[in-house]
Amino acid sequence: MEITGNAEESHQNKFALGVDSEHKATEFKLFSFAAPHMRAFHLSWISFFACFVSTFAAPPLLPIIRDDLDLTATDIGNAGIAAVSGAVFARIAMGTACDLFGPRLASATLTLLTAPAVYFTSISNSAVSFLLVRFFTGFSLATFVSTQFWMSSLFSGRVVGTANGVAGGWGNLGGGATQLIMPLVFDLIKHIGANRFTAWRIAFFIPGLFQTLSAFGIFFLGQDLPDGNYSQLHKSGDKHKDNFARVFHHAVGNYRGWILALTYGYCFGVELTIDNIIAQYFYDRFNVNLNTAGIIAASFGLANIFSRPGGGILSDVVGKKFGMRGRLWTLWIVQTLGGVFCILLGKVGSLSVSIAVMLIFSVFVQAACGLTFGVIPFVSSRSLGIVSGMTGAGGNVGAVLTQVIFFRGSKYSTETGITLMGVMIICCTSVIMLIYFPQWGGMFCGPSSKGTTEEDYYMSEWTSAEKEKGFHRATLKFSENSRTERGIKKVESAPTPTPDRTPNTYV
Amino acid sequence: MESYLLAAASLFILCLAQTCYGDVLFSTLPQTLVVSASPMDGQVLKVGEDSIRVTWGLNQSFPEGTDAPYNEVKLKLCYAPISQEDRGWRKTVDNLSKDRTCQFTISHRTYTRITHNLTWIIESDVPTAVYFVRAYAYNSSGNEVAYGQTTDTKKSTNLFKVQAISGRHLSVDIASICFSAFALLSAVGFFLVERRGKNAAKN
Repeated sequence: MEITGNAEESHQNKFALGVDSEHKATEFKLFSFAAPHMRAFHLSWISFFACFVSTFAAPPLLPIIRDDLDLTATDIGNAGIAAVSGAVFARIAMGTACDLFGPRLASATLTLLTAPAVYFTSISNSAVSFLLVRFFTGFSLATFVSTQFWMSSLFSGRVVGTANGVAGGWGNLGGGATQLIMPLVFDLIKHIGANRFTAWRIAFFIPGLFQTLSAFGIFFLGQDLPDGNYSQLHKSGDKHKDNFARVFHHAVGNYRGWILALTYGYCFGVELTIDNIIAQYFYDRFNVNLNTAGIIAASFGLANIFSRPGGGILSDVVGKKFGMRGRLWTLWIVQTLGGVFCILLGKVGSLSVSIAVMLIFSVFVQAACGLTFGVIPFVSSRSLGIVSGMTGAGGNVGAVLTQVIFFRGSKYSTETGITLMGVMIICCTSVIMLIYFPQWGGMFCGPSSKGTTEEDYYMSEWTSAEKEKGFHRATLKFSENSRTERGIKKVESAPTPTPDRTPNTYV
Repeated sequence: MESYLLAAASLFILCLAQTCYGDVLFSTLPQTLVVSASPMDGQVLKVGEDSIRVTWGLNQSFPEGTDAPYNEVKLKLCYAPISQEDRGWRKTVDNLSKDRTCQFTISHRTYTRITHNLTWIIESDVPTAVYFVRAYAYNSSGNEVAYGQTTDTKKSTNLFKVQAISGRHLSVDIASICFSAFALLSAVGFFLVERRGKNAAKN
């Protein structure tokens, strides 16, 4: 017992940032690289950035690739859909892997397993092989889930929205940066003396190497939890190796996860769709040249540097004052406004107004992504990984759906497709009104009159047998820390848990 | 009345401006040049190895003075309809400033009345596709004023195929495979290291 006590004291002193009872950081210092919290933050956003660069490395070089591989517009469209559909199941699988093996091993492994798809892009020689490499490269976007899971494991409720928003946003930046990086790398290689049909192939080694290196960084420099890695903690008994079936059951049985998965499809999914179609839209409708179209396309993705983090920060600021109800209202307002600007984008006819509307649209849609992940860490404690995975997967499903319905074939002109997509955003976002947390309330209702507490809600995920063995200890700490979601006025007045109360089961 | 005159005058000037700024419509061009090329219908040519011999000149059945405005001639390699199908970036548009049918210039010379010929080795930039050859005659302002082509108006005869260089090299292939193998082996290595760490913690 003595030894344990001393170990805990030394843990308290050794963190560079302020921590709570779970040793999660209560502050977020962007320019620090201190282990484990800020170091994990930088490792995770950089590797997620690398995966985004790889997944969207092909679009800016398509004018060359389509000539080399003799692709038709249908081939290109299908490859674009394949690139985002691979991650649908990968993201759910990643959520499970994080719950079971920890985000460090899960993300490093996935990043390494998808790097061959990037290298093999250099060898593709037909429409089918091109589609396959884009499909498998797209699996790497599942590292989004490990990023969000990792941040949720290391940062407390006070700053989790910020940490998730910045990590997610700076990772998504890769989708914009690649539209600038790949053409530059291609030009450089051609300048050295390669023929253009060889130069584009060599160019793909850059994202491949970047991905491989980032995986090594995560494995050797990262740590799953404030107190150690999953493998160490599993053995010492501090972290129980959970039962997959139970974790899965609590994730899919929680309707809030499904609602947020749907709405994420209409902020993040829309962002992916736009990444795939916007350069061609400006090129065709406004007759700008390919380089200009690429710069405009890049600026949409580059807005992520502040807009998604901004959404996360906004979620935390609103959450501090108004609690979970504030987070939900802000998410609904921002995402609905994103839909309004999307409708406008399809309607405007002049180039400069169109670029301005696109930039405003990008800010709202990306902020909505950040706001979504300000809510996700509170949906489930035990099944955080799978819930994050489901939401992330929902994002990709949204991208597949919108591209298939509005941007494939000649049924709608691109501008009509964009406007209709905006209408769909507004309709699908309205389901946020259905989210209700008994301990905090929803958009239109206050907390339950039965006096449900955070503990009641989170403890309902564990059976009494499991509680007897003490598996729920981490969740207990989390419930206590999540009381901040009541908002400022209510923290003192809401009911506190008494030891002998029997918690109810909540859906 | 005056406003109508002003509107009409503006429209007229704008139309002239359009012509000055190269908005020529292909359907307005007379086919006064005769062009023939060495590849036979359906022949496959290899980039960098095979060459095309093009012969062009004025069609003598046109009256004297037809070619007075002709200043320059450009010979171009143009996509046949089958290679334009489902590929909007190669689309045929009547407005020549937006037309993407002919993307490669074989030769660019001053116009003289005699019949010319030249041999052109197919450049490395040319992608695999089905083509024909077209010649445009330009006036001194740089606008197209006439054309000739090796195929018929429907672009269905005398088409030849060009086979491009692959762009794949053995060294690139080997590098791809090596880097991929390294990544996969590293993933396996990570698992083994992790398991060893688990056992060490146990002890």
